[in-house]
Amino acid sequence: MQSGNNTKLLVIPCSGVGKVHGLISREAVYRVTDDLLPGQADTVCLALLVAGDAETKDKVQSIPCVTLDGCPKLCAFKNVELSGGKVSNQIRVYDVMKRYRGAHFGTATALSEAGWQVVDELADAVVPNANHSAVKEE
Amino acid sequence: MGEAVAKVGIISCSGEEIAEGTIARQAVRRVLEALRPNHTVTLCLPLFLAGEEGERRFAREHPTITVDGCSKLCAKRGTEKYSGEVSASLVVSDILGDRAKHCHRSTRQADKADEEAVWIVAERIAAAVDEFIGTRSAGQEDAAGSSAACCACGSPSSAAVVEINGASVTITGLPLIFQHLQKNGLSPDEESANTLLETAKIYHAIDAEDENAYRHALAAAYREFCRESTS
Repeated sequence: MQSGNNTKLLVIPCSGVGKVHGLISREAVYRVTDDLLPGQADTVCLALLVAGDAETKDKVQSIPCVTLDGCPKLCAFKNVELSGGKVSNQIRVYDVMKRYRGAHFGTATALSEAGWQVVDELADAVVPNANHSAVKEE
Repeated sequence: MGEAVAKVGIISCSGEEIAEGTIARQAVRRVLEALRPNHTVTLCLPLFLAGEEGERRFAREHPTITVDGCSKLCAKRGTEKYSGEVSASLVVSDILGDRAKHCHRSTRQADKADEEAVWIVAERIAAAVDEFIGTRSAGQEDAAGSSAACCACGSPSSAAVVEINGASVTITGLPLIFQHLQKNGLSPDEESANTLLETAKIYHAIDAEDENAYRHALAAAYREFCRESTS
């Protein structure tokens, strides 16, 4: 998928495959790119970036990025920075999850209702970053 | 086939940009949770590529299957760069062909096309795992006591118990099999028994002399599953 000329923001999840946190990060990104900021926000394959793909590196270096990480290893944030990307905001899934103390969020395969609530909350937290990047461009 | 292998590592591409990436990820999870829970572990690709030595060592010492969404083969190339040649490389876009066009990136939009795609890819992965687990039939997976389905996440295996000739038998993945067949419109009547048996046999070793008992038990369990899911 090509980032269009109107892309103001890249939203990049860790996509951790082992735990529910990774799925939440991934779904929050799709909520932003597909529903909340279609045409304005896009994502890139983190593995492709880490593998050194030139086109993907160019994108993260030229468009402000928001990273969403599921675990404290912060793979998305660290790898975007290592690639020379501009991280305008780093969001940790856990910071939102801990507000739902005792809730069951689903699994790494399927989210529960509480899991989807976290997705929506994370996505809402990403949206203002697009507005900020638009203001900076002006 | 030489000596049996305890664990096979499966590495999915992250593939956020394309639906095939989501299918790869979901199919890997299905193998871990339901189809081959005792013999598989997964490794986080971005973590692996970024230099997590433990995961790289695992991939060096165990058979590793990579599942890539597209022909860029990030999982395969990344694994081979740090841990040597992979044991098998599967590519979702090759497996699914045009079928992938109807799939979605988000599981929120997932429908029958996504579900079928995940099953097709998961079965291909499970077949590749069987190539390495060697002396033990994949159909003999025993969810009881399994510590797998893991990346240390503790996700429980999906299994169900049926009564066969007076003995309790655990069939790994049976709830997922029922769910899949129900979505495909299989009615819970006597005619469903053969379909249930043939599907269960893919994942569970069934002796010919026990087939009739399994046929009845699976049909009864499927009726109960459908009754509960609609009530």
